[in-house]
Amino acid sequence: MEQEVILSVKDLEVKFNLRGRILHAIRGISLDLYKRESLAIVGESGSGKSVLVKTFMGLLDANGTITNGEILYDGKDLSKLKSEKEWLGVRGKEIAMVLQDPMTSLNPLKTIGYQVCEAIELHQGLKGAEAKAAAASILEDVGISDAQNRMHQYPHEFSGGMRQRVVIAIAVACKPKILICDEPTTALDVTIQAQILKLLKDLKDKYDLTTIYITHDLGVVANVADRIAVMYAGDIVEIGKCEEVFYNPRHPYTWALLSSLPQLGVKGENLYSIKGAPPNLFTHIEGDAFAPRNPRALKIDFVKRPPYFDVSPTHKARTWLLDPRAPRVDPPKIIRNLHREVSGHV
Amino acid sequence: MGIPGNGYSHILPQRSIAMLKYTARRLAQSLITLFIIITIVFSLMRLMPIEGYFQNFDKLDKNQIHTALQSMGLLDPLPIQLKNFYIQISHGSLGDSLIYRPNVPVMEIIASKAPVSIYMGLASMAIALLLGLPLGTAMARSKSGFWDKFGTAFIVFITAVPAAVYYLLVQLYFTDWLGLPILFSAANPVSWILPTVSLSLGNIAYYAMWLRRYMVDELNKDYIRLARAKGVDSKSIMKNHVFRNAFVPMVQYLPTSLLYTIAGSIYIESLYSVPGMGGLLVNVIQRQDNNMVQALVLIYSAVGIVGLLLGDILMNLMDPRISFVKKGGAR
Repeated sequence: MEQEVILSVKDLEVKFNLRGRILHAIRGISLDLYKRESLAIVGESGSGKSVLVKTFMGLLDANGTITNGEILYDGKDLSKLKSEKEWLGVRGKEIAMVLQDPMTSLNPLKTIGYQVCEAIELHQGLKGAEAKAAAASILEDVGISDAQNRMHQYPHEFSGGMRQRVVIAIAVACKPKILICDEPTTALDVTIQAQILKLLKDLKDKYDLTTIYITHDLGVVANVADRIAVMYAGDIVEIGKCEEVFYNPRHPYTWALLSSLPQLGVKGENLYSIKGAPPNLFTHIEGDAFAPRNPRALKIDFVKRPPYFDVSPTHKARTWLLDPRAPRVDPPKIIRNLHREVSGHV
Repeated sequence: MGIPGNGYSHILPQRSIAMLKYTARRLAQSLITLFIIITIVFSLMRLMPIEGYFQNFDKLDKNQIHTALQSMGLLDPLPIQLKNFYIQISHGSLGDSLIYRPNVPVMEIIASKAPVSIYMGLASMAIALLLGLPLGTAMARSKSGFWDKFGTAFIVFITAVPAAVYYLLVQLYFTDWLGLPILFSAANPVSWILPTVSLSLGNIAYYAMWLRRYMVDELNKDYIRLARAKGVDSKSIMKNHVFRNAFVPMVQYLPTSLLYTIAGSIYIESLYSVPGMGGLLVNVIQRQDNNMVQALVLIYSAVGIVGLLLGDILMNLMDPRISFVKKGGAR
């Protein structure tokens, strides 16, 4: 299936200057995002998933810079954009974002209507009463009933789930092509999570969106993603279709990540957790970044960084285990049985 | 907030009624506070030496003093004296001056002194807001840039150097360089400049410092990130989101600041010989005019109470999160 690429990242490197020390947050990422797909980026805290998507919108903190690579979108290289004026053509208009915590991502002193209208006036060219009507209809779209009245209320008059709906309404009101959801359900309680994910899926179809989910919740991923990119220490270590990564994972880190699913735990036994800590990104990393925490690591993992090996045309992983010369290393048993274990859980 | 509409009409009256109730409740609380202050001040003043009730204490004998005190009601038991004082206040009188300007009603003396202080205070307040708020905004925008450094230097100078010193420096050098008069005269507009500007320096630094701090706080909040992500330019973000929200915590202190500014500055008024309220309290304390001291202390504490009351009301008006009624709340 040949798909149109909407955004293409090539060899992207991002460094942060923290009081004179250089932190290598993104270490050479290449990624094609296909039109209308839903891509999930998973990884633990600090793996660089948020930093990666922030570069798409020019929202890196002032001490962060793109030191190498390009981000191609619509014939432009976004990594070359400098001034705010250039970025204003991208933010909202082309790429919009839903933030993690709906309790803090709305201005507490402005009405919901004002905050949705702000996006509509900027990106849909509507003014006054027209903008208000459009705002009300978008609020209805995201499942806020009685929108005509509720748009005159303030964020504190809404619950967490309702606020996240408003944040989503704001993102959609920009009429973007790409919607980035940065852990959209992390701050919500479980019953609301499913509703919000369903809403995002519906809106994706209705507004013809390409979506990127950032999450460390594999349950969310299984729910919404067409493809999964697994990030570790500022790098994508494995990427493939949802089924491929879940049922035929190849990178030891992906194995470890999947083994940590609490759903796979056996009653009475400790849950699996990955030993050790992620590498220090201030120092130069030799070889495979995951090697020190990987009980199945090969010698070469400590010496040379593995390239990507194709597992299938849509699935590749950055591990020496896929090299034809590598010894046969089987994934943990629990991963081999994941298909059976997970059905009915995730 | 610029969104009139169908739904607003039924919310607005409900909120303003609640606002009125709240104001009435706070007003009642303030009156109680004031009552307590009056009682304490009046009782404490009765501990002052009795010389403060006479112009010519040394020349009087015991009997004369006794008769005079009795005629002033000062030999009655304290509760009776208090009751009489409350009645007197309820008629709008704070008594007569005893020594400062004998037998002139205190209110009349204050009425003749207050206007100059009030006008000068208002002018200086306007200067402080017009310079302090933009300075604070510029500092927040250029964090660690030129304006931030300039503003910080100014604030540190104003805070660290005693006001007496920089007031003097201003008087010393600016009268020279700009050829401005050293002494104040109400009829000469130019002579207003230096005392008014000097009076505003402290407030400029104070407003700039707090506004910068609150704006930087707001700038780091998530909703600013969301506003940027939806494509709002930084100028509009500053104006519509950051400044407005940072101003809310400041607004609580503005009335107090205003009232104390118009109540007159002792130092500036004596430096430029301004015939205002500022030096009055010191003057009457030195001369032991018990009635004047009592009246002025009461006025200053009333000013403090009114300032806090106005601040609370203003803040409630500006922040919709503060609710006046118990209701269902968020769903």
